[in-house]
Amino acid sequence: MKKEAWFGLSIMALVVVGLFWAMPPLSQITTGHLGLLMLALIVVAIMLGFPTAFTLMGLGTMFTWFAYHSTNPSTAVQQTLDLMVQRAYWVMNNDVLISVPLFVFMGYLVERANLIERLFKSLHLATARIPGSLAVATIITCAIFATASGIIGAVVTLMGLLAFPAMLRAGYNVRVAAGAITAGGTLGILIPPSVLLILYGAVAGVSVMQLYAGAFFPGLMLAGLYVGYVIIYAKIKPSIAPPLSAEDQFVPLPKFAEVIVKTGRNNVMAGLIGALKGKRNADVPMRKLLSNLTIALLPLLMAALLMGSIYHALTVPKVVDTSGLQEMGAVSTTDIAAPVAGGLQEPPAEGGLQEPPAEGGLQEPPAEGAQETQVAASAAPESPQILAEVAAPDGAAAVAPASGERRPVPTGFWIALGICITGLAVFYAIFTFVRLEIFKMLLSSFFPLAFLILGVLGSILMGLATPTEAAAMGSFGALFLAVAYGRFNWTMLKEAVFLTAKTSAMVCWLFVGSGIFAAAFALLGGQEIINTWVQTLNLSPLQFMLLAQVIIFLLGWPLEWTEIIVIFMPIFIPLLAHFSIDPLFFGLLVALNLQTAFLSPPVAMAAFYLKGVSPPHVTLNQIFLGMMPFMAIQVLAIFLLYMFPAIGLWLPSVVYGR
Amino acid sequence: MQKLLLTVDKISTFVGKTFAWLIVSLTFLITYEVFSRYALDAPHDWAFDGMIQMYGMLFMMAGAYTLSKNGHVRGDVLYGFFPPRLQAGLDLTLYFVFFLPGVVALCWAGYIYAGESWAILEHSGITADGPPVYQFKTIIPIAGAFLLLQGIVEVIRCIGCLKEGKWPSRQQDVEEVDVEKLKAQMHVKDEDIAKLDEFVTAKKGSDK
Repeated sequence: MKKEAWFGLSIMALVVVGLFWAMPPLSQITTGHLGLLMLALIVVAIMLGFPTAFTLMGLGTMFTWFAYHSTNPSTAVQQTLDLMVQRAYWVMNNDVLISVPLFVFMGYLVERANLIERLFKSLHLATARIPGSLAVATIITCAIFATASGIIGAVVTLMGLLAFPAMLRAGYNVRVAAGAITAGGTLGILIPPSVLLILYGAVAGVSVMQLYAGAFFPGLMLAGLYVGYVIIYAKIKPSIAPPLSAEDQFVPLPKFAEVIVKTGRNNVMAGLIGALKGKRNADVPMRKLLSNLTIALLPLLMAALLMGSIYHALTVPKVVDTSGLQEMGAVSTTDIAAPVAGGLQEPPAEGGLQEPPAEGGLQEPPAEGAQETQVAASAAPESPQILAEVAAPDGAAAVAPASGERRPVPTGFWIALGICITGLAVFYAIFTFVRLEIFKMLLSSFFPLAFLILGVLGSILMGLATPTEAAAMGSFGALFLAVAYGRFNWTMLKEAVFLTAKTSAMVCWLFVGSGIFAAAFALLGGQEIINTWVQTLNLSPLQFMLLAQVIIFLLGWPLEWTEIIVIFMPIFIPLLAHFSIDPLFFGLLVALNLQTAFLSPPVAMAAFYLKGVSPPHVTLNQIFLGMMPFMAIQVLAIFLLYMFPAIGLWLPSVVYGR
Repeated sequence: MQKLLLTVDKISTFVGKTFAWLIVSLTFLITYEVFSRYALDAPHDWAFDGMIQMYGMLFMMAGAYTLSKNGHVRGDVLYGFFPPRLQAGLDLTLYFVFFLPGVVALCWAGYIYAGESWAILEHSGITADGPPVYQFKTIIPIAGAFLLLQGIVEVIRCIGCLKEGKWPSRQQDVEEVDVEKLKAQMHVKDEDIAKLDEFVTAKKGSDK
């Protein structure tokens, strides 16, 4: 047997011995101590490598029976069985966990649609001028792809096959290359839509929508920090990431573009418009010119659309700013208001943001005034934001007479508009034909995925869809993408379906097991012992937070994140109220923290996936060393999030008025 | 014996894969429901129960399938370092200590639970006049039974491994990270990867 195994076994033996040593003498043992014993046993049992779901189920069943038996032996068996089946049914009937298979399915579809190659290529051409461009492109590709697919192993392996050779060939330092891939690949854990946050939401009873809103900016910040680090490092020390050779940067131009460029017009707008009227380009087909002009004008159109809708939203007559009431109000009135709003079939527990846009308020302007008071007083189901959205495309004419004039536009809008116009002007000034080609490539790889992610997130955050519905539509969108890219075939669909079933069964059976286990733990009173013990420690909230994060980080070594969330979070969550820590905020820190576990040697999974596809002379140590700076950045990110909670809590507070 | 084991594997796999297709219908059902609500203004009150039941059946019935493919998450810190015989010994013990009592209890409890539901022909209470749930609750004992069957097969596998010193073979199945497949997808061959070594070693030389 290997040394490592003996080492592990001896540590486990030490834990067990220490446990019995720490237990009070038999006479003073309470059931609460049994609960703690059970907790220690579960850690040991999990380390033994038996499937965790069944370890939890078995231990939970036994200890539940024991707990009931100690109070009333005659009904113990019956009560145990009831409890078990209720926990199982709770998982089956869970309206939060239902989004797990859907998001997983979406992930597998995106992964198998094989967009990554195109994505990486277009991104690396787009970033060619930035120092460390390949590494930057790698991180961005990883972030987008990992976010959409959420499958870390596959992302790291794919990037190991795709970006690693490219970086090595370009003369990149092995460590930087390895670090960029592993760090980027694990971003999918944090950036929503991530399965980790769904599980946390289900365990902690925090709304998944708020978690998604909260994790969005920390995720972006982390990706941004990674990119910033690579750029600065490459700038200071160009030898680790030499700029690309002109040959690698070369983008072949289509024929018509070459013709136009030859006339001396390198700028797209000038060139295309000139070619439209000019006679010199008679050999260039008109349709091609027009279609390219349309593509070139897309950014302008998008910006105009965006600023226009913002203008509308801002100047729409103000109803009553009750964003604070939106979520609560919707939840509390979903039942009562059901007949009014016309067919709300979702249960209130879903968050209640999914009511169909209220027709009533818009069709009858007189009702508007009444509604204002209603909103203010009793939180009517029609939330102002939804109202505003409906009103905007309708021209707001119907609403305007009833509730006053358009509001003046805040100065901030004009500043934003100015920046936008300047940005567009600069963009078009440097928009050459080469860049048009790159833009076209991005259009076919980067934007569809970005739209998919933003569409899923946006519909959740705006309250148009529940996470479940957004996940289903995301899967549908992924299916559509696969068809659009010609990657859709029977095998691919079959594989995605079967993998989804296996992954969902793994996660959800873990919940069945942990449900029984947690019930046993609560029955035995283990939680109370922990609560009183933590309270006697007289920790400040900061100390508690640090302690909790360190424990979770340490648990991240031997255990998978699913196990940590499902087994250990229920122990931490009840303690949060005592220290008045927001469970939402705690969840964000935990998500960041668990991501670090993927990068912390010696068990960092990302490193092993990369090692599996890297050339033999790249050692695990090199990969680990490469991950280190990125791990430091993650710790910095946790620190930043702790110091400035607004990074995570701003968006939920704006959207849900927490 | 091996043939019997593989037959049970096939049964579990077949059941799991059949129910796995529910994810596709779930996707379409929800997408259609959203479309119907926003575009046609015609939400259906059975949709929520329908979604939940599809999801519940999907993962419960895939439990045995996942077990047959060794897909349930394990604490892999030490397990991977153990020789096969120790792995099998530990698994065998723990199947008897944890798995069998837990799953038998679940089956039994589920049987009673579903029986009670059938007795009153229970309907969902989420909406007025909800769809029936007794067939949904019946899934618990059925899924438990399949899991138990697969568990017994796994026990026999453990014994086989204890005798032979190596794990008996399993059926091939699609894997989450199938390196060979991914290599083919990226058009990368092993030689290409090996060739990259010159960059790695050249780099080291220049560093010195």
